[in-house]
Amino acid sequence: MYGMPPEMSGAGYDTSMLQLTGYLFAGLVVLILGAIALAVLTLPAFFVILYVSDKLVGVFATATGWFPLKVTVIMFRGLRRSMLRTSLTYLALFVLTLVLCLIYAVLYMIGNATSEKEANFKAIVTHKTTIPSQMPPGYYERFKRVCLEDLPPEMRPKNGDKDIMSWSFILGTTDKANPRKDNMVFLFALEPDKVLTMMDGLDELVGQEKELLEKACAAMKANPRAIVMSKSRLKSLNLRVGQTIKLHGMNYANLLFEFEIIGELPEGKYEGVSFMNKDYLIQQIDTFPTSPNNPKKGEQHPMADKCINLIWVRLPTKEAFETLSEKVNNRAEFGTVPIKLETASSGIGTWLGAFKDIFWGIKFILVPAMIGIMSLVVANALSISVRERRTEMAVLKVLGFAPRHVLLIVLGEALLVGFLGGGMSALMAWGLLGNVKFQIMFFGAFFVPMNALFYGPALGMAVSFAGCIGPAMAAKNVKVAEVFARVA
Amino acid sequence: MMSRAIVQVRDLHKSFTRGTEAIHVLRDLTLDVGEAEFLALMGPSGSGKTTLLNLIAGLDQPTAGTITVGENVISGMSESELARWRTRHVGFIFQFYYLLPVLTAYENVELPLLLLNLTKEQRRKQVENALGLVRLTDRMNHRPGQLSGGQQQRVGIARAMVTDPTLIVADEPTGDLDTRSADEILQLMEILRAQLGKTIIMVTHDPKAAARAQRILHLEKGQLVLDTAAAVS
Repeated sequence: MYGMPPEMSGAGYDTSMLQLTGYLFAGLVVLILGAIALAVLTLPAFFVILYVSDKLVGVFATATGWFPLKVTVIMFRGLRRSMLRTSLTYLALFVLTLVLCLIYAVLYMIGNATSEKEANFKAIVTHKTTIPSQMPPGYYERFKRVCLEDLPPEMRPKNGDKDIMSWSFILGTTDKANPRKDNMVFLFALEPDKVLTMMDGLDELVGQEKELLEKACAAMKANPRAIVMSKSRLKSLNLRVGQTIKLHGMNYANLLFEFEIIGELPEGKYEGVSFMNKDYLIQQIDTFPTSPNNPKKGEQHPMADKCINLIWVRLPTKEAFETLSEKVNNRAEFGTVPIKLETASSGIGTWLGAFKDIFWGIKFILVPAMIGIMSLVVANALSISVRERRTEMAVLKVLGFAPRHVLLIVLGEALLVGFLGGGMSALMAWGLLGNVKFQIMFFGAFFVPMNALFYGPALGMAVSFAGCIGPAMAAKNVKVAEVFARVA
Repeated sequence: MMSRAIVQVRDLHKSFTRGTEAIHVLRDLTLDVGEAEFLALMGPSGSGKTTLLNLIAGLDQPTAGTITVGENVISGMSESELARWRTRHVGFIFQFYYLLPVLTAYENVELPLLLLNLTKEQRRKQVENALGLVRLTDRMNHRPGQLSGGQQQRVGIARAMVTDPTLIVADEPTGDLDTRSADEILQLMEILRAQLGKTIIMVTHDPKAAARAQRILHLEKGQLVLDTAAAVS
């Protein structure tokens, strides 16, 4: 997470480039194996669709006698001729489309997160040079004053103080002696009354989800010890709403938090994390010098001057952002700990900069390589099919079918598999991952965009086309006399 | 005396190149085939009889010479023109039937008609007539794999005549059949000639099959060596 200490990242991994690359490749292998398993599971459905479509087209072809429908029947029947070959082509296209759908979804999500808005966009204040970003608590008040008093009125946040929010990250464990991933809790310490307006993804809530979170935030404001937790974290801790939890701070060493769980975060939003009232954190830090947990009696907590990790502000225009950025950069009052102001998207972009080589590799090496390999698989299957059916193609030509008809039959078979394989794959990716939402870092819930339902079949057909154009041309150019001479 | 020539072959020459070597398959061949004539082409393997059949049927282009079928000089046609011409004017019967295994007997016979501008009803009528002629109306919804060799060849004959072509060419039509089925096929071909007036050119190695034709041509090394009337006609 941007500005978050590495040991507090969601997975708790060291995200060094080498390890990250290793994780990505391992993830890709798992993804491909999963895709193959899913493809095998959907294979019967694919053949059922093929059979039903064949019958339907057959009925229409018989009823209308329309030539293109009759040829389509030949295509469908051709696909059912060699179940093994059609299955392999389908599997290749399914796996390719599923993996590319997921890659597309990730790139789409990153694209969304890094695209700049023109107005009412969020900006983010962080430490100028240090990651994790850690700032003194006084900076938040000073920054608010600059925004609400020093900026020209038309450039100030529209909703005043409601448009400015700070985040502090807290990692705690229920078992101080044996901290493990499954007994850890990661919390955002924030101002509860700004949750529904300033947190990405939560400002879009409607209906009962919104109502429940509003009530929970009001309860958090009234009771600083109240927290809301994601369903998945509640489940992994075996806790329910209404129970209490004691957490030993890990990055806030020697702080003991006693929370009351008063609500759940909506599904798919901020998975695995919890929200707490920032006042409780400040109160714990303030009382730490006299706390029995303080090993150095009377001394303030080591995190007391660096407990603000991020500050968010929503600004009305780009001009407002530029003016505020200039003020923040040049103010002596922000001199002790240098800070910088970025748009949220550029902030995320800066963070993603570290991974740009990986994304470049995914976009320009992995994706083309996968398309190339799968095209070869499809081409291989089709060329075997064409070779086996050279005599049949020749017979069609003898009967008067023009070379273009033969070309269309071969192309049509491949495009049909491409359409069905790509379509089913995209449908599975969209349907499955649309229902099992999970979050990647701070990007909000991961989901496969609905566009995939269009791109999936299109990709399947494009790969099939690329793979079969060679065999289709070979079929088109079959020399009838040569074929029969060989047969004889 | 031969009726009006429906096939006219003049100074036909066909050669292939294999590496740097030119192989002359047919040399200066001239031939007429009359309307409603049943002609058998015989000769040893490599004598050029199938090549001649392919050229007359418009499946290949001669190196030199002309071929006229009916009013059409087919030796100068492009591949697409030949494809269109074949649909209307030539029916093919193959030794190994070459039915599309994924289509029923009805659909196989209907295939050439799909390329013609016919209504669904006209197509149905023609297919049923063709299948009726070969006595396979009751098998029209069977796929080739569900039919015997003889039945498959009868479907092949129905497919060859369904477009009412000028010319029917047959390459060893009985070569893959038992004696009884072969006899049935030859009888059917005689019916096509005698009752429907079709011109038939058949390549065969079998003297008994050739004897069912009206005329037998013997080829050797790409040239006509004997042109005889068959013993039985």
